[in-house]
Amino acid sequence: MSVAGLAMAVDVIELLTQRFSANSEPDGPPLVAPEHHLELARTLRDEFGYRIFGFVIASHHPATTKDGEKVDRVRVVYGLRTVGSHTRLASWQLEVDVGTSVPSLVGLFAGADWQEREQYDLVGIRFEGHPDLRRLMLPEDWKGHPLRKDYAIDTEVAPWR
Amino acid sequence: MEVEVASSAVSASREISANQRPVTNRSPAKTRRGDPYLDIAAYDPEADLMVLNLGPQHPSTHGVFRLKLYLDGELIVKAVPFCGYLHRGVEKLCEKLTYVQLVPIFDKNDYVSPMMNEQSLVMAFESLLGVEVPRRARYLRTLLAELQRIASHLLWFGAFAMDLGGALGGGSTLFMYCFRERELILDVFEELTGCRFHYNTHMIGGNRHDVPAGWAAKVHSAIDIIEHRLIEYENYLTTNRIYLDRTCGVGVVDADLAMELGITGPILRAAGIDHDLRRDAPYHAYDELEVRVTTDIAGDCEARTRVRLAEIRESVRLVRLMIDGIPEGPLGSRKPIKTNLAEKSERGHAYAAVESPRGELGIYVIGGGANRGASPYRLKIRSPSLHALSCLPYVLPGHVVSDAVAILGSVDPIMGEVDR
Repeated sequence: MSVAGLAMAVDVIELLTQRFSANSEPDGPPLVAPEHHLELARTLRDEFGYRIFGFVIASHHPATTKDGEKVDRVRVVYGLRTVGSHTRLASWQLEVDVGTSVPSLVGLFAGADWQEREQYDLVGIRFEGHPDLRRLMLPEDWKGHPLRKDYAIDTEVAPWR
Repeated sequence: MEVEVASSAVSASREISANQRPVTNRSPAKTRRGDPYLDIAAYDPEADLMVLNLGPQHPSTHGVFRLKLYLDGELIVKAVPFCGYLHRGVEKLCEKLTYVQLVPIFDKNDYVSPMMNEQSLVMAFESLLGVEVPRRARYLRTLLAELQRIASHLLWFGAFAMDLGGALGGGSTLFMYCFRERELILDVFEELTGCRFHYNTHMIGGNRHDVPAGWAAKVHSAIDIIEHRLIEYENYLTTNRIYLDRTCGVGVVDADLAMELGITGPILRAAGIDHDLRRDAPYHAYDELEVRVTTDIAGDCEARTRVRLAEIRESVRLVRLMIDGIPEGPLGSRKPIKTNLAEKSERGHAYAAVESPRGELGIYVIGGGANRGASPYRLKIRSPSLHALSCLPYVLPGHVVSDAVAILGSVDPIMGEVDR
């Protein structure tokens, strides 16, 4: 249950595992069920002082199980930071299928707006409750989401529009 | 370039600066927040709204950035920023290239402070791969970071004066002066690394280029000149009535808004929050130094200028402290890697953050394990400029168009880093 270079506070690990029944992962931050996501962020902000919005990172994990069944999953890592001396980061991750959406943090942190738009744009994960989910980096008529693993790096695009 | 630095002249001009500075309003910051999701169709039907596109090709946008402004008369009602004109797909490229190949690519992200980009990247890789960095290399990285901060803030200072218009010393005069002083730092970097801009001087486990003989003396003379002239430039701009009228109380970002948006760096400190990763989460050799953090309470464009100028002086002090005491020892913890694929592949997540001149520059890397070869599975750049720009829809409404240019300049966005 760890991210190298990101040592989480003991009380936050306790909060994650006991109150929000997070599963520890062999690598990466603890895995939290999507229904606990908003409540966890609110608790960290209001009770633990994690007031600076950190980051949102979505990554695409396609895989084939032993039975030959294809799973297409996206993992989203969120991070929040405390203010001032001995500042620390708290981070957790969610796992959903590609088609389903993740609850948006925009209601709690306005900074999640652009970050979630960027992840929607590049990875193609939808955020439920986002007021303005448009592409951030690519043109609005772009086809596909480049950071998906099935998007080849040499995909041809017209040089002009 | 030889300049005589007479200490009496320096102290004399300091006194003048303290006496001449007009008293400004120093009330704590409070943003009048605009609504970024305002429905324009439901806005006052009597009003004759005009849409103004500021950019993407506009000198005040510091690159290619488009700002769609809805104007009621000259007042901004709603601001919609569009970025991505410089999107180069760096994060996709990271999934293709190997760890060793990525370092020179990252120089091009924030092209005003390439050292910080390299450092955050190699720090993330070092924690992922479990590589130690010797003390001499950590010390040299700290020194390079502080020199780079001086260069970056100098360029910002000149560009900001140019944004504010021709009345401030004939347009681009201050810009050219600041550019000239920045050259001194680039000369020093060139002597160390062989490059003026895209250094590629960091590698996993240490630094590539050792300090040449006589380098310390050149750094001393460069920062002496910069410190001396900065006082002159500061008086030149910050005692100017027009400058004060255009910056005081303009573009206030208060602490709550800044933290909620994830804005760090000088903008957060100008809003009164004492937060600096160099002191609060020390990396490199910062745990051996005492970094004095400057804050301000007003949160407006003028406060941000004050904080950045104080940071230049602080960096000059830190460079002076460090330059003569670089510890002896090896510069890298292992031999330089010559082939691309020699790096072993690791599973796991790693995050490393540095305090860049614009705030917390973080690299989050997910290692792919054996089936990915020696390249990351996913890499995300937490860009401080992107977070800083996202304050515009909240701050701009209620200001006039000319203020929009001042606010955009004071945010110090580097579009190469915003769009990546």
